[in-house]
Amino acid sequence: MTGTIVEQATTLFDQDAAGARRGVRVELVDCVRYFGSVAALDHLSLAIEPGELVALLGPSGCGKTTALRALAGLEQLDGGMVRIRDVDVTRVPTHRRELGMVFQAYSLFPSMTAIDNVGFGLRLRKVRAAARRRRAGELLELVGLSAQAGRFPHELSGGQQQRVALARALAVEPRVLLLDEPLSALDAKVRAQLRDEIRRIQLEVGITTLFVTHDQEEALSIADRLGVMAHGRLEQIGTPDEVYARPGNAFVASFVGSVSSLPGTAVPGGMVEVLGRRIGLRPEQDVFLPGSAVHVLLRPESFAVRADPLGRGIVLRRSFLGPVMRLAVALPGEVEVEVSLEAARAGEIGAGSAVSVEPLGPPLFVTGRDDA
Amino acid sequence: MAALTIRRRAGASGAGPARRATAAGFRFGLPLRGAVLALSALYFLVPLLASGRFALEGARGTWTLSAVRALAHDGALWSSLLLSVEIALGAAAITLALLSPTSVWVNLRLPRLRRVLEGLTLVPLVVPVVVVVLGLYGAFPPAFVTSPALLALEYVVLAMPYSYRVIDGAVQSLDLHTLTDAGRTLGGGWVQTFFRVLLPQLRTSLMSAAFITIAYCLGEFAMASLLGFTTFPVQLFQIGTEQIDEATAVSVFALLLVFLLLATLSLLGGKRRVARGSIVAGGDGTAAEPPRPARAGRS
Ligand SMILES: Nc1ncnc2c1ncn2[C@@H]1O[C@H](COP(=O)(O)OP(=O)(O)O)[C@@H](O)[C@H]1O
Ligand SMILES: [Mg+2]
Repeated sequence: MTGTIVEQATTLFDQDAAGARRGVRVELVDCVRYFGSVAALDHLSLAIEPGELVALLGPSGCGKTTALRALAGLEQLDGGMVRIRDVDVTRVPTHRRELGMVFQAYSLFPSMTAIDNVGFGLRLRKVRAAARRRRAGELLELVGLSAQAGRFPHELSGGQQQRVALARALAVEPRVLLLDEPLSALDAKVRAQLRDEIRRIQLEVGITTLFVTHDQEEALSIADRLGVMAHGRLEQIGTPDEVYARPGNAFVASFVGSVSSLPGTAVPGGMVEVLGRRIGLRPEQDVFLPGSAVHVLLRPESFAVRADPLGRGIVLRRSFLGPVMRLAVALPGEVEVEVSLEAARAGEIGAGSAVSVEPLGPPLFVTGRDDA
Repeated sequence: MAALTIRRRAGASGAGPARRATAAGFRFGLPLRGAVLALSALYFLVPLLASGRFALEGARGTWTLSAVRALAHDGALWSSLLLSVEIALGAAAITLALLSPTSVWVNLRLPRLRRVLEGLTLVPLVVPVVVVVLGLYGAFPPAFVTSPALLALEYVVLAMPYSYRVIDGAVQSLDLHTLTDAGRTLGGGWVQTFFRVLLPQLRTSLMSAAFITIAYCLGEFAMASLLGFTTFPVQLFQIGTEQIDEATAVSVFALLLVFLLLATLSLLGGKRRVARGSIVAGGDGTAAEPPRPARAGRS
């Protein structure tokens, strides 16, 4: 380990002869972790392919951090197994797992300068001072902070501190990179910027990465694959567009992206009737007996909206999202839907306008409804 | 060391606004503060000056250094001082070695025991020394009870109400979990993480705890005397029964010593606070992004 770092000090990261990504496969297998009677991990299984960035998304308290910490060995498991490069590391202590981790809270060592923070892992590995400084300097350059090498953490902004933390995590050539909501303490602009940069660096380095967040936009934009968690379980995992367009259940449908839920009725011919219109179901959604009451989940873009003095919808709010306008519309029966339309066509529609709203199929998701 | 220098420099560059704020505060409360300061100074200085005068006064209004001269040649006094210093340094070392890992471990792993431990460290304040001494004679063979090592251990316990509070306060002010997690994922075991990550953060407080323990040891009389050790205060008492002016000279000297110690300490502490203040004042203003939220903010 020590040898490789010293020898590789000039090239940032070790590459295969073929130039393939050097990432390793990482697996959580049937992991269980209880805190008292709360199952923070409830038979969670997750595999991350070499060089892949998987984002774990879920509401606060669903067990994302616990999953990440279990992978790192910072949290013991009550059941299950952690595998890195097909080797069971469940009993291997954290400091021998060769990981890099970036935390939600600022975690730089306050008494060390940026470059000493980055070189810390190398110092623990007894890398000589000259080689250590050289490599730490390269990592700081990778995160764009060469000029701040001599600064102390309190002299850096939040975004800069997290960059240094990323450089510090990567300096030891870890096999896996773990990020626990690294952007949540930053403000929106810095957050988006640093998010893209993390992705750029991750691709450049080719390291297997688990990125935990409760921010769906962050998860959708950064991930190769997106895992959605709830109550310690993995509800669904897939590419961001798969998860967005084909949610596996109602929770995923409503947690990722915006949806409106409308009461509807199944009708013959693989259709549902909603808002007085019939829309077609995808074959896998056509599992309801005709006449049964259902909830129909629709994305804002699955509606046709136009200004209509006789329309039954009343616009409650409108928000401008660049190319599209998002409207909250009240419909008869105390139903509120979120719809979007091209900003150019939204012209005279404002709060209080009457509009007509038509659903366009197929729906995002359909569930049974007991209350009717 | 380099770290300290840079910190101070940063403090100097950003001290402007902070100093102005302080000046405004002074203008407002100056008369009151002055009075309080003068009264406290009198309270401490008058006995000190009187003692000094008593020590240096000869017969019928003359001044003499005879007491001081006698002191310098008093072999028993110097050997008692040496014994006291040895015991004090030993006690300070044991205090740091014992209490800093304990406080870290309790705060990290057994937070529910924190209050219990805090209570336990207060026990020496309420148990009379005589009781402790009797207990020692009951518990240990006499040979061990008369070893200076035991006295050092006793002082560790007796000074604990003060030393533990200082250390534990500093440990609690750290974001222990994040720092240790970071240290461990970077490849440090518990021991390395403790020494390389946490100790540098605790340096000032550990120094304070050591000084408190040392000051306690140099001044403690009852326990040493009851156990039959001729430590500095015990010797001082003995001199006092024979040559009161010499004893007074020694105590003035001892007081000055402790005063210097404390002054150095608070000066060091003061400098650190100024350096911290510069963060608020904005440092050199080159940070490209908005200021970060409060340190260690786990949301
Ligand atoms: N150290 C702990 N002690 C007790 N309960 C915990 C601890 N860590 C996590 N939990 C509980 O486990 C659940 C999952 O927590 P966590 O993994 O931190 O969630 P997330 O990161 O998704 O917000 C929560 O219900 C939380 O209260
Ligand atoms: Mg979390």
